Amino acid sequence: MSSAVIPTAVAGPAPRRVRRVGLGRLATPAVVVTALLGLYLWVHSAPLDSIEQRTLNTGYIASAVREHLWLTLVSTVFVLVIALSSGIVLTRGPMRWLAPLATGVANIGQATPAIGLLVLLSVWRGIGFSTAVIALVAYSVLPVLRNTIVGIRQVDAPIVDAARGIGMSPLAVLLRIEIPLALPVILAGVRTALVLNVGVGTLATFVNAGGLGDMIVNGIKLQRMPVLITGAVLVASLALLVDWLGAVVEDLNRPR
Amino acid sequence: MSSEPMISLRQVRKMYQGQARPAVDDFSMDIAAGEIVVLVGPSGCGKTTTMRMVNRMIEPTSGSIRVNGRDILSADQNQLRRSIGYAIQQVGLFPHMTVAKNVSIVPRMLGWDRRRVEQRVDELLDLVGLGAVEYRDRLPRQLSGGQQQRVGVARALAADPPVMLMDEPFGATDPITREHLQSEFLRLQKIIRKTIVFVTHDFDEAIRMGDRIAVLGEGSLIRQFDTPENILAHPADEVVARFVGAGASLKRLNLRRLSDVAWEPAPGRKPPASLPADATLHAALDAMVAAASTQVGVLDADGRLQGLVGIDTLMRAIGDTAPTADPRAEAALEGAAGSVPTEGAA
Amino acid sequence: MTLWEFLQSRQDILIAQAQEHAGVVLVSMGIATVIGVLTGALTYRKPRLSSLAISLSAAALTIPSFALLGVLIGPLGLGYAPTVVALVIYALLPIIRNTVVGLAEVDPALTEAARGVGMGRLRSLATVEFPIAWPVVLAGIRVSTQMIMGIAAIAAYVGGPGLGNQIFDGLSDLGGVNSTNRALVGTIGVIVLALLFDLALVLVGFLTVPRGVRTGWSPLALFRRSLRVV
Repeated sequence: MSSAVIPTAVAGPAPRRVRRVGLGRLATPAVVVTALLGLYLWVHSAPLDSIEQRTLNTGYIASAVREHLWLTLVSTVFVLVIALSSGIVLTRGPMRWLAPLATGVANIGQATPAIGLLVLLSVWRGIGFSTAVIALVAYSVLPVLRNTIVGIRQVDAPIVDAARGIGMSPLAVLLRIEIPLALPVILAGVRTALVLNVGVGTLATFVNAGGLGDMIVNGIKLQRMPVLITGAVLVASLALLVDWLGAVVEDLNRPR
Repeated sequence: MSSEPMISLRQVRKMYQGQARPAVDDFSMDIAAGEIVVLVGPSGCGKTTTMRMVNRMIEPTSGSIRVNGRDILSADQNQLRRSIGYAIQQVGLFPHMTVAKNVSIVPRMLGWDRRRVEQRVDELLDLVGLGAVEYRDRLPRQLSGGQQQRVGVARALAADPPVMLMDEPFGATDPITREHLQSEFLRLQKIIRKTIVFVTHDFDEAIRMGDRIAVLGEGSLIRQFDTPENILAHPADEVVARFVGAGASLKRLNLRRLSDVAWEPAPGRKPPASLPADATLHAALDAMVAAASTQVGVLDADGRLQGLVGIDTLMRAIGDTAPTADPRAEAALEGAAGSVPTEGAA
Repeated sequence: MTLWEFLQSRQDILIAQAQEHAGVVLVSMGIATVIGVLTGALTYRKPRLSSLAISLSAAALTIPSFALLGVLIGPLGLGYAPTVVALVIYALLPIIRNTVVGLAEVDPALTEAARGVGMGRLRSLATVEFPIAWPVVLAGIRVSTQMIMGIAAIAAYVGGPGLGNQIFDGLSDLGGVNSTNRALVGTIGVIVLALLFDLALVLVGFLTVPRGVRTGWSPLALFRRSLRVV
């Protein structure tokens, strides 16, 4: 078993998946634009009742999207700060032995149901935006942490050795050698976390933290298909676009 | 040639799409039953392609190939391959199968019954010098490189095919193991008498293994097809001479063994160096130089001293193998040998 | 009510829901494995096709599960059907990808040797290539299983079976006497099931991975591998 397939996480965009750069990169935006256009035409052609009209208007949709993005962004920033710093600490000398433990926990965390985590947190802290953020962070910090550890550890020992040998300080070795070389794997983790946050963000509605999940839940509860479908398509488009952005960033940072 | 050749290639051509020149161009050759023909040449000359067309691992573009009187292009590919032994440099032992399963793969595909398969496996393992009891249930990764090559040969021999194709079958081993495997295989060949097409880029291996050697140039062009003796003594042209490389005279010593020359009676005291009777004269010369002696002792299978061979016998042997030395060829040979370091052998 | 009392008083329903949860994951994994392995095996020789299959399943995996489940209510209604379809879709990527990678990584010398001894494509695939790729495929199956365990919990909202129902009951009862117990039992139950499934798959690997392609089965190696999927 080789390292050709790095454990990607859950909602895993494969870190090294086969891809062609260039035109192939346009496929995702094209699909998303087509889907949104189709959605727009479909919703517009159907007669909407008053309940549907209340949600299917620009103002409501824009605020749901904004809430969703805000939730995703805030959580991702926390995830990055926590995961990157602890990932780096866990690959330094004295803490090294903890690293396998962290990656192990990360793998078990994969099986934790996000909704369970969310409900438990709201029992503890009450419902609201901050509870949702904590749940999202707790859920998606693990893949980034794991990829940071794996990424730094897979840097060839002789390279690090050579860097130290020519007199680089430990900090310089970290910043100029280890992190740049680990970047592709770390970025893959960040991309995974972003996609996870968009996905788990749909569940924020259950703790009154808004987002596009509101539309899905309303659609299901009130049995209004157009509302449900609009929410689902919008959040799927958001996830695909975020993943696509991540892929583009990865492309730009790929060592050649 | 009185009897019909075992393998016969006629105007065989292989043209790959998008390439200006054919990889194999108009190749014709007859190979008699029981002989080892070595195809030797620089890498990329088309020797492997030529060999691989015989069991249709590569389809010829045109021409005809007959094996054992049968036109192979009209045969079913897989059936054909099961009837031709095939050994390659990477060996390709299946890592998830035991040695026995690897060796027996063709007989099992041919539907032999279990008893017969088991018997055959044991027989083959003994034949290639691996104790059946000890090695039968091992996995490929538990074997050394040399042992893997032997199992590869055993697998190729499993269904007792009359014809074998060998593509640098000993290539992936260290020089000492390789030499050992080579002489072991030659001993084996005396028993099994297969018709063998053997591909190598190593001219010394070609001399050791071949009954006849075909020196190939680009497009699998046959530059010379003759016995090792004749190629060493009379290289057909400059290119062959260069390929034969430096030290052609010394290489001739590889063609004969101590058992082929006359011995002087064994003396009472032990000579400084001794070798078994099946050692080559080249090895004998080597031993003499190493021991700073002009003589070498000859041992029998039990390691008892049976006779002596002196340096003058070796000198005569070099002369013997080129009885009709053509002065021009010799000159070309020497010239080529001298030019090797600057131009580099192909 | 303490957690222990809760467990005792709801024993029957909890066991039933755990069984349902395991059942729906098992069924989905079975379907996904068949589809994924077939897709991988049919496409791995054609990089364009296999990268298309991988890209499509990766895109599908990107879609939030709650959204996909919602969309599936349209054609499939509430309950078991949308749950299985969604779980199968999410389970595909790791299986397809690992099948493609596992098969593509088989040493060309082995496929060459298989042809050389007269094996046809199918025989070579079934007796040589697939057994060698199997550990990698199995690793993909393990990743998928872990993943859809958690997604199955969300499916309870669209009427799916299993322990997710405890979690959503806890949610609707937030602040009630048993909301914590319900959420805890649902969440931990799913994790425990996931670990049990993973253990079972390790055992499957132990029994089915050919000795010759194993890379050591010491307890330590096993532990390491359980941490480093693939």
